[in-house]
Amino acid sequence: MQYKLHNHNHNHNQTYKGLIIEPKIRDFFIGRIWIRTNAPFPQEKIETYIKYNYFKRILGISSKRGFFKKHYTCNRCYNENQSEFIHYECARCNQLCTYCRHCINMGRVTSCTDLLIWNGAKPKFPTYHILDWDGTFTEAQAQASQQLTDSIQQNHNHLIHAVCGAGKTEILFPAVLAALQQGKRVCLATPRTDVVLELFPRFQKVFPNTILHAYYGNAPQQQGLPQLIIATTHQLYRFENAFDVVIVDEADAFPYTFDKALQKAVFKVKKQSAPLALVTATPSPQILAKVKREKWGYSFIPKRYHGHPLPVPTFESLWSYNKMIAKGKIPSKLIQWTKMRIAQKEPFLIFFPTIQLMGIATPLFQQLHEDILSVHAEDVDRKEKVTKLRNEEIPGLLTTTILERGITIKNVQVAVVGAESKIFTSSALIQISGRVGRNVNYPAGEIVFYHHGITTEMDEARNEILRLNKEGFGK
Amino acid sequence: MKRNEVPNCLLCNAPLNEQMTWKYLLTNAFPRTICSECEQKFEPYHTTQNQEVTSLYKYNDAMRDFLHRYKFMHDTLLAKVFRDKIHEHLAKSKAIITPIPMHPIKLKERTFAHVDQLLKEANIPYQHFLEKTTTETQVGKSRQQRLATEQFFKLKASPENIKNKDFLLIDDIYTTGITINHAKNVLLEAGAKSVKAFTLIRG
Repeated sequence: MQYKLHNHNHNHNQTYKGLIIEPKIRDFFIGRIWIRTNAPFPQEKIETYIKYNYFKRILGISSKRGFFKKHYTCNRCYNENQSEFIHYECARCNQLCTYCRHCINMGRVTSCTDLLIWNGAKPKFPTYHILDWDGTFTEAQAQASQQLTDSIQQNHNHLIHAVCGAGKTEILFPAVLAALQQGKRVCLATPRTDVVLELFPRFQKVFPNTILHAYYGNAPQQQGLPQLIIATTHQLYRFENAFDVVIVDEADAFPYTFDKALQKAVFKVKKQSAPLALVTATPSPQILAKVKREKWGYSFIPKRYHGHPLPVPTFESLWSYNKMIAKGKIPSKLIQWTKMRIAQKEPFLIFFPTIQLMGIATPLFQQLHEDILSVHAEDVDRKEKVTKLRNEEIPGLLTTTILERGITIKNVQVAVVGAESKIFTSSALIQISGRVGRNVNYPAGEIVFYHHGITTEMDEARNEILRLNKEGFGK
Repeated sequence: MKRNEVPNCLLCNAPLNEQMTWKYLLTNAFPRTICSECEQKFEPYHTTQNQEVTSLYKYNDAMRDFLHRYKFMHDTLLAKVFRDKIHEHLAKSKAIITPIPMHPIKLKERTFAHVDQLLKEANIPYQHFLEKTTTETQVGKSRQQRLATEQFFKLKASPENIKNKDFLLIDDIYTTGITINHAKNVLLEAGAKSVKAFTLIRG
């Protein structure tokens, strides 16, 4: 009798065979790192799973002793900026507790928070994927695509440096397909929600046999175990050791370049030997140096997919535009330009350096045409407004730098107001110029920098575009 | 009070660039915690005289955001945002300051008492005389349902401490007044001389 009892206990300490795991719960947690109390499942179930060892539990914040004071690290977002750690009297653990303000938007992580990582069996991913895409590659695209596929197969990091409108997304298709067909899990990350929203339907269409999810702030909950994930870089905080291939699109965009924790996140979500691929039109010197030093694969495409050169920005002075607009008047050059666009029925984008300036200018522009709208980062109707412009329901859109990349609108014409402002760096200006002339039928278009004095950033952007055109066309 | 304790705006993260002034050197005023742009988004609420409940701000979009981040996202640090205004209003109060209590289970969930925290950051001493008897909240109820809720406070301290004394109840938001009224009734029944209330927000 006693022997039997002992045997029974022994079984319990191992994983419990009698517990049937719900696939829903397993699929949700695989690859994720999640706050225990925020799980979208009943806490009793989580409790049971923990008891039977299906989860590894780690502390939310770890600290080590530094020279003068403790040094904290957030175990979810890997933030180590000490000024973002807040200490307070916690009523749950009844002591001085620390929380990380860096990733607080995803639910607060404190010293007494349990983070859960799936510890149970992981199912194999299917290999029967197809690519339903009948487009064709240019020579340069085909070459870059092959190089990327090879790099990924050999677990090599890779950089794709391609001008705006070179067809970067399509280049990814064969490489992603090859990885999926080997049963690998792939993550495509980008710093911008807009880019996720643009990429997701395109990938959904060309990979009809693949379960893919899109993750961004306030994304709806999606079912199943996704093999392909398209996410904002912020959402990567919620994953760990999850992917066999990680691709970062628009790797030079804000906030990725400024936020150390985001860059670390990219490395923590991939499995240790998994390859990383960066895709960008304007790689920073740091990225280029890293590529050289660590001998990454490198593909360079100086030509657009339709074979026409990049539109070169023109500089137009717009002296004291700030004061004019503040007085309630749009400078006449800008009125002329806008009226011309409306008369010729060409959709247009006008970029502003600040939300405040745009706020004052919007009603003034609406006097020219009442359907002109404006968008900025906190605008909830951003998606709808861009769609309206694309469908030619409205003549034009005023915007902050939020629309500088990732959007494609047929025959769009672009003006930048206050191009000398600090926020318009050379890479931002190159990206903005890259919105123009992306369609085969409308390969040319106007890009004007209205300025109050020319900056080196503006010159740099123009020179880089001229250089790329020279490389691409040998003129 | 540490100077440069908060280098960036707690709400929008813009650098504060606090200028050194004589006022900072010579008085112990609270250093700024939010930028002037964020500050402008909050609408002050003007209490008319004879009103028993004083409030500082109206409930608008900025305030809804603030409350969400503070109370529901648990960003405890945000208790500092209104500390100077709260201090200004309560430092000279002669009444005994009593925050509206939380139910212990709720407290464990939130990990901090949001009303107490506001007072702590503003350096206002307070005492608890009440306790909450249900974990139910007023959130998500209609006005009718709220007004119909039964007494959910009971006395924690002995009545001698309450007899013939003046009290000032503190809460984060005043909407229908049911919370304040229930608390007030408990104190008055125990023999309090007067009970007034102060809330950060008027819904």
